[in-house]
Amino acid sequence: MQGLMATLLVWALLHPGGGNVWPTHTVCRNDGLEILYQSCDPLQDFGFSIDQCSKQLKANLNIRFGMILREDIKELFLEAALISKGVSIFTLSYPICESDHPKFSFCGRRKGEQFYYSGPVNNAELEIPKGEYEVLLKLYNERRSILACANATVICY
Amino acid sequence: MAPAVSCLLLAVLFAAACRVIISSDQMCTEKEVNKTYNCEYLGLREIPDTLPSTTENLEFSFNFLPTIQNTTFSRLINLIFLDVARCQINWLHEDTFQSHHQLNTIILTGNPLIFMAETSLNGPKFLKHLFFIQTGISNLEFIPVHNLENLESLYLGSNHFTSIELPTSFPSQNLKVLDFQNNAIHYLTKNNLDSLKKATNLSLNLIGNDIKGIEPGAFHLKSFQTLNFGGTFNLSVIFKGLQNSTIQSLWLGTFEDLEDQDITSAMLQGLCNMSVESINLQNHYFSDISPASFECLTQLQELDLTATHLQDLPSGIEGMNSLKKLVLNVNKFHQLCQINAANFPSLTHLYIKGNKNKLDLGAGCLERLENLQNLDLSHSYIEDSDCCNLQFRNLSHLRYLNLSYNKPLGLQSQAFRESPRLELLDLAVTHLRVSVPQSPFQNLHFLQILNLSYCLLDTSNPHLLAGLPDLRLLNLQGNHFKDGNIPKTNLLQTVGSLEILILAYCNLLSIDQQAFQGLEKLLHVDLSYNNLTGNSISALHHFKGTYLNLAANSISIMPLHVLPTLSQQSIINLNYNPLDCTCSNIHFLKWFKENLQKFEDLEEMVCATPPTLKGVKLCDVKLSCRITAVGIFFIVVFLFLFSILFILSVKFFLRWKYQHI
Repeated sequence: MQGLMATLLVWALLHPGGGNVWPTHTVCRNDGLEILYQSCDPLQDFGFSIDQCSKQLKANLNIRFGMILREDIKELFLEAALISKGVSIFTLSYPICESDHPKFSFCGRRKGEQFYYSGPVNNAELEIPKGEYEVLLKLYNERRSILACANATVICY
Repeated sequence: MAPAVSCLLLAVLFAAACRVIISSDQMCTEKEVNKTYNCEYLGLREIPDTLPSTTENLEFSFNFLPTIQNTTFSRLINLIFLDVARCQINWLHEDTFQSHHQLNTIILTGNPLIFMAETSLNGPKFLKHLFFIQTGISNLEFIPVHNLENLESLYLGSNHFTSIELPTSFPSQNLKVLDFQNNAIHYLTKNNLDSLKKATNLSLNLIGNDIKGIEPGAFHLKSFQTLNFGGTFNLSVIFKGLQNSTIQSLWLGTFEDLEDQDITSAMLQGLCNMSVESINLQNHYFSDISPASFECLTQLQELDLTATHLQDLPSGIEGMNSLKKLVLNVNKFHQLCQINAANFPSLTHLYIKGNKNKLDLGAGCLERLENLQNLDLSHSYIEDSDCCNLQFRNLSHLRYLNLSYNKPLGLQSQAFRESPRLELLDLAVTHLRVSVPQSPFQNLHFLQILNLSYCLLDTSNPHLLAGLPDLRLLNLQGNHFKDGNIPKTNLLQTVGSLEILILAYCNLLSIDQQAFQGLEKLLHVDLSYNNLTGNSISALHHFKGTYLNLAANSISIMPLHVLPTLSQQSIINLNYNPLDCTCSNIHFLKWFKENLQKFEDLEEMVCATPPTLKGVKLCDVKLSCRITAVGIFFIVVFLFLFSILFILSVKFFLRWKYQHI
């Protein structure tokens, strides 16, 4: 009992206000592929899933994505970094919404809206080589305000 | 045991809760003194007492205010802008804003509203902008109309509306923006449109509603500033429904995540019976594009065909004499000549940005565009070994040219001879091949802005920037100089009219004292992200009243002789430098304290040495380099002992000498 109390006390001291570590979610786990992610935005979690999960990723995957918008998304950019064994393999930056070219129907939604997207992401076909990868993803707007941030792990057997 | 445990638990919880409340009061950030505050995401249940009553702009979203009533904001009577998005507001009670006469914008986005009292919006004298996005409402009767006479914009997106009809009592005479984005409106009737009659120059947004039918005659003789039907599956319905209307700007684009039907020439015939100045058709496919497709577009002034999968535009299109602006971004041209520019002789603005294939500029493809002023060819994989006279033949009125983010371009002397009126030239992140001693920008008498960042320039060519008498802004960011040094003779000496010079990320180690001689008009010098030391500042000795950015360099000790140079400048940024906070730098530290107002962002100006002061803000350092009493005592003792020793040795030496005589 004492031990429990001590643990509780330490936990309460380390996490004032409940703490902001979000649970790790599983996107999928089958066919030799496992994808996990955790929100790295201290303010909120988000939900994400892929319709198909295999080492041989199809082109034009369908995803589902749900979150609350912290900012307007008249302009929205994705930044992704792929890391394997601590070495950065590539980083990319991709415009999703631009004021002169809103690619998706959700572009232009406003701060405070609940946001749900289910549809294609326009990716290329890709075979994932064996290994374990870290993927850091960030969504931000034209003022570089973060809308979502994810630490993902991709394990391919 | 149990009571003790619960007591401790309670104490822990209480302590945690206290901490949250205490910290949250402090945590609203002041963005503009006494006027603008941000209190987002603090879990607040009321307006903190720390906010001054002079607050004009309050960002209070993502807090917890289930009920708002006349006491909620009563202290902040000067509010102009109030954002309470996603505060879980259910109720807006009577007279909530009774004393807020200045209030002009209320944002209620994302609140599950149950009821608004009849007088809940009374009080503000000029309530202009209301956001009811995703508040679960489906009927405009929900919003009390008593104080909406001055309303200019009403945002109703992501709700359950099935009709755009305004209630007869709704005051719409000043309404300019009516936004029904992402609702469930599928039909527009004549009555719907008649209810908007009082609003003039209205912009109506119906993006994401998939209109399936418009009653014939609904838009007859109606006029709109902007109409947005983005994402509508069947555009024929729209073209048919808009007969006899007058629209400044019609947005009919679609999106990658939506299915749509191809646009046919027959559909576009609908445009003959309406008056439109500007049209956007982004992301659509054209099934049979031919000169006939453009028959009803002859009155257009602006046409946006971004990402419409085009490989060419047909030749022989006639009558497009009014078209001033053509946007062909994100298409699949191989050759610039494939746009058949001669079809659009009056163009002043042409954008072919982000072409998906390697774009070959060809020769004289735009030569018929005599009035062209603005040309954007950025991000289009353009590569040319000898640019740009043949390519841009006859573009004598061109003022803005953007060739940034392309493949390598070879430039000879007078490379832009065909466009002598250029005012802005952007070549950022395009590798430029210029052999010494060519002057590619020679004779651009009107050029004011030249962006050459990350162009991999050969900066040893002193003639590179020759012939630019009116250049005001030069961006050389990310280019490298030989040995990291800007020598006495350099390429900047030919551009004496410069006001803004950017040399950030140039790997500079030093700048010759005479390097900027001749640049008398500089107002803004950016030398950030280099490896410069304090001595390089001597090169700026003749500048006065300049904004000087020296952030992220290697400045540790600031030599005494550069302090007068710094004193002459208006704003200085020395953030992220390994500044020395020991007595060896005392002159600078003293001068710094006397000139705090000159420095931009004091928060990031921290000491690097000595280790004890590492990370401490420079403005918090109190250094005393006078000798202390203990120090004086030791020096006196030392001198005393030294003199005794000296006297004794002299004595000893003399005695030794006399003994040997």
